[in-house]
Amino acid sequence: MGYDAMAHDASSPAARDAKKRRGNRSAKLKQSKLDVRREQWLSQVKDGKEVKTLVSPAAAAGANSGSPILASPHPPLPRRGAEIRARGGELLDYKEDSVGASQDVCSSDLESPMHSPVSCIPPVGCLPQHHCSGNGGSQSLSGDSSAWSSSRSVSDADDEDTGGSPENDDDDDGVLDDWEAVADALSLGDNHNHQDSGPAATPAVPASCPEPANATTGPEPIKSRTSAWSPDDVFRPQSLPSLSKHASFPASMGNCWTSMGIGYAQKGILLLPISCPICYEDLDPTDSSFLPCPCGFHLCLFCHKRILEADGRCPGCRKQYNSAPSGGGTTGNEQETGNLCLSRSYSVGPRY
Amino acid sequence: MVDVSRVQKELTECNRDREVSGVSIALHDGSTISHLTGTIAGPLGTPYEGGTFLIDIRLPGGYPFEPPKMQFITKVWHPNISSQSGAICLDILKDQWSPALTLKTALLSLQALLSAPAPDDPQDAVVAQQYLRDYSTFSATARYWTEAFAKSTSTGMEEKVQKLVEMGFPEDMVRSVLKSVNGDENMALEKLCSG
Repeated sequence: MGYDAMAHDASSPAARDAKKRRGNRSAKLKQSKLDVRREQWLSQVKDGKEVKTLVSPAAAAGANSGSPILASPHPPLPRRGAEIRARGGELLDYKEDSVGASQDVCSSDLESPMHSPVSCIPPVGCLPQHHCSGNGGSQSLSGDSSAWSSSRSVSDADDEDTGGSPENDDDDDGVLDDWEAVADALSLGDNHNHQDSGPAATPAVPASCPEPANATTGPEPIKSRTSAWSPDDVFRPQSLPSLSKHASFPASMGNCWTSMGIGYAQKGILLLPISCPICYEDLDPTDSSFLPCPCGFHLCLFCHKRILEADGRCPGCRKQYNSAPSGGGTTGNEQETGNLCLSRSYSVGPRY
Repeated sequence: MVDVSRVQKELTECNRDREVSGVSIALHDGSTISHLTGTIAGPLGTPYEGGTFLIDIRLPGGYPFEPPKMQFITKVWHPNISSQSGAICLDILKDQWSPALTLKTALLSLQALLSAPAPDDPQDAVVAQQYLRDYSTFSATARYWTEAFAKSTSTGMEEKVQKLVEMGFPEDMVRSVLKSVNGDENMALEKLCSG
């Protein structure tokens, strides 16, 4: 089963999302700069598929430059949620016009500037070059998780090429072994593979090009190439750092979550959760900004009043609260209390 | 009226790290929160080392704006603590009290007082004189009082009872006399001999 089933699951709710997204695309464009950029990129990809307009090299470069952003270890939350939806949308589109779409993708990949004639090698025998793709991808993406994600496409390609049927569970172990091999190869860190990354990035796609029956699994490499591992992915390697998992939020939360989170954060900064050291009750904003003594000792207004009624000394420094006005009409009273306390403390003073 | 919520929070907070701080507070009896019993460990490197000292704490109605009333239940030989009543001479329990202080900080101050006596401002003049004139005797006495009163007295008491019974006094009388002199073996012997 594996990712094939996941692709089916993702595609059905994603179909609605994709339609919705087309409806309010203009609204989404306003959300943020990054959102705008990725929307442009997505629309370019779609135009390339549906209307079959020419995909310019610049657009293809944009697609290539877009993938490192998506595969960064700490993707901003809203974009990640949108990205998953977008992925579903891609899947759907691929289903709708399977042959043409995949061919178009092939052509767009062929037009990428990093591309070289080597990509025409038949995909069946190019397993070592898949590993090269892992290397090249990781260097261009410059990140641990991105390295994994780029080599993920390799595993998918391996599944298609060697096993033929993606449901074959026996392939999984082999894939994992390949992972270790890829990781070993990564540690070597050879730079010259960077030039080979162009050809290596594509062979997964030509594998599905001639077979329209494989249309559902065809877009899989694209999907995995444009994003990092999703936290619930069955094929997610155990060795991946859990950091990316923590950074990722449920996609359903969407943008409102971040706005809420920011709201809470701002609230937390503004409203320091300090309680009154005298009565242990929480300080409200009025109390927090109330500084009756130059020593900076915070306390709530109730306790301050209570102290003024008694000896009128600051609990923090034990000095007399000076009769500086802290309120409007009650200034006179407080002053009077302060004077009374002063005289009392003076009378007591010589004893010590 | 005592600020019940503050006292409850203080109790929780103080007992949270009792192992580290060496001080703890418990309700004296379950009925009222204004009568507590504090426990402090004798500070290391002093004659009070190894002892556990109980302190009677009574919270006035104005607490925390008024200082808690504290006195030692356990007998202590210290210049600033009455050897008779356990009354404490400490400024923060009197005029230097601040509502920003807590029961825990007060108990910690008592612990600090045990390790740093102030004989110039004594509560017990006899002890203060001894401290100033003959520190070694003071130290020995204080250590003896710690052994006698501030350590788990159950086993020590049995030994004393056995000792006095061996001298030929009836056991029940020995026990009652020992109890009346707070476990002081010599005083008990004196009393038994005179009585």
